[in-house]
Amino acid sequence: MAKPAKRDLMSDAPYGEYGRTATMIATPEGVILPFINASFGERLGALMIDFLIMAAIPIVVLIVWVILPLEHFSDDHKAASSILQVVSLAAWFFARSGYFMFFEMGPKAATPGKRALKLRVVAHDGGRLTPAAVFTRNALREVELYIPLGVILQTSAGMGNSWVSLAALLWALALVLLPLFNKQHARLGDFLAGTRVIHIPKASLSYDLADLDGDAHLGLTFTPDQLAYGEMELQVLEQVLRERKPAVMRAVADKIKARINWQAPKNSADMPSDEAFLRAYYGALRAWLEGKMLMGKRRKDKHDAALT
Amino acid sequence: MAENPDRNAPKPALQLKSQKFREARQGDWRLLNAQLEKAERDGLKSFSIDELLNLPVLYRSAMSSLSMAQSISLDRNLITYLQTLCARAYVNIYGPQTRLKEVLAGFFVRAWPRSFRSLGLELILAFVLFFGGAVLGWLLCAQDPTWYGFFMPGEYRSVDSSVAELKETLGGNTEDQALSPFAVFLMGHNTQVAIMAFAFGIMFGLPSVALLILNGIPLGAMLWLFHSKGLGLEFAAWLSIHGTTELFAIIIAGACGLHIGRRLIFPGDQPRRDSLMDAGRLTGTVMIGVAAMLTVAGCLEGFGRQLITESWIRFAIGGAMLTLWLSYFFFVGRERKHG
Repeated sequence: MAKPAKRDLMSDAPYGEYGRTATMIATPEGVILPFINASFGERLGALMIDFLIMAAIPIVVLIVWVILPLEHFSDDHKAASSILQVVSLAAWFFARSGYFMFFEMGPKAATPGKRALKLRVVAHDGGRLTPAAVFTRNALREVELYIPLGVILQTSAGMGNSWVSLAALLWALALVLLPLFNKQHARLGDFLAGTRVIHIPKASLSYDLADLDGDAHLGLTFTPDQLAYGEMELQVLEQVLRERKPAVMRAVADKIKARINWQAPKNSADMPSDEAFLRAYYGALRAWLEGKMLMGKRRKDKHDAALT
Repeated sequence: MAENPDRNAPKPALQLKSQKFREARQGDWRLLNAQLEKAERDGLKSFSIDELLNLPVLYRSAMSSLSMAQSISLDRNLITYLQTLCARAYVNIYGPQTRLKEVLAGFFVRAWPRSFRSLGLELILAFVLFFGGAVLGWLLCAQDPTWYGFFMPGEYRSVDSSVAELKETLGGNTEDQALSPFAVFLMGHNTQVAIMAFAFGIMFGLPSVALLILNGIPLGAMLWLFHSKGLGLEFAAWLSIHGTTELFAIIIAGACGLHIGRRLIFPGDQPRRDSLMDAGRLTGTVMIGVAAMLTVAGCLEGFGRQLITESWIRFAIGGAMLTLWLSYFFFVGRERKHG
């Protein structure tokens, strides 16, 4: 995946979340959609939840075994007890090898742990997520985690070579930390299967902040010279206005007023509140920038040349 | 900027272009959002035919809205919302295929045998390595029987066992249940071995080579033991009923590991990352089939070996399975040659 060229500010802060990277995936319709990469912490968290669930399977089996009076049962019902054993063995086998594959091949393409953290698996090339890819990415867990862990446990139990164990530890550590060293936070299995784990946040359509009519009634107008900011600042301002924290709005309003040399009205009763001022400024700045955008002129941030 | 030329108009239409755009389209977006929530909650089965037909239309319209919004609007909330909406719609529409019948047919008729055939030389190499291990095990034991104890520590069928004891281990377990827990355990174990042989390919395939040889050696050693007690034929029959399927599966898994190793070391014209991805897809397909083969082997082992005790029937079943697999792999899913 080539590093996304700086198309516009949206791709630097996918879904409005700064500090996260996105994987650009071309859909079959030819639209390039940015998907937020799951962060290392999210992936680790999902794995922990899944491990807890997997650990619960044998524990439940054990509890059932202890609670039910099975000492005599196995003598009385040979066939039934054998079926029970088969079921418990199959449960254990499922827990180790099949759990991830079963859930990721399903329609949600995510294990319960991933689902809890709003993660899901997608194919990197934009096509369907195939069962083969899911199999591959999960089979690689053996090499990444299970086998090295097995070796280490064996050594700590007194068997095996401590050098081998050290090598296994380093190997597992390197592979577990691999997602930290690539932009898309993919692990080895993802590379081999051509999959990525993405984060899909829930977003809601809020109201539109620009209210030109209301602003006009307030009588707040700005000259193009006063609209001395770019798209980046506009979006920060939008965030400030949506969060509506009085202290922040005061600080931002003061800063803008100082920068644009704003003349406060003489009559203190006409003095707009910070929020009203910021909203008016937001509306004016957005109208100005969008108008220029339609002509193909953009100003990324305040350090860019002013639009004329 | 924000001057209103006509303050007395009853419904002033002072709006940005992006606001008009939003007003015209947001009904569709909200509808798509509701449909997606429904699909995520109840699945596509709960949709009526009209709703189903409408879904791709809504999806494409949202996609085009997104492209449009990115070039005319600076409302970040709007763009974020559209991106999320499109991403959710995309994963719902291009998520894993849910029609089981199609998936199965596509897999068994085309994907699996074709992927198998494209392994080619690696299959032969894995075969040679595995049976090379077996020959090695036989030869070493034949030279010095103490090797047997070395290869098979803790095995109850040892060099000191009498012919009668050995023969008993080959007999059917008439008293035991057909599907014994032991068979399930073995199946799990074999699947684990197969997954390991495959996944170790990522370490340049070397551990896969070792694993193939190491799994071949005990086979050779046991063959030698039974042969030296004059039970070679019976043992081969006992083994063949499920072994032709099971060992074949393990060899294929090893070949997958070798394939990954080769594509990792020699990526050819592709970047290494793409080469790995191709190899992963190909071998992943083959490995799902291997899991199916191991299930068949487990059933043969659990039911067949316990119930059928005649050597020649065991041979016949083993041979039939082998023929079946080979003809399946070599003839099913060939692309028709034109002209």
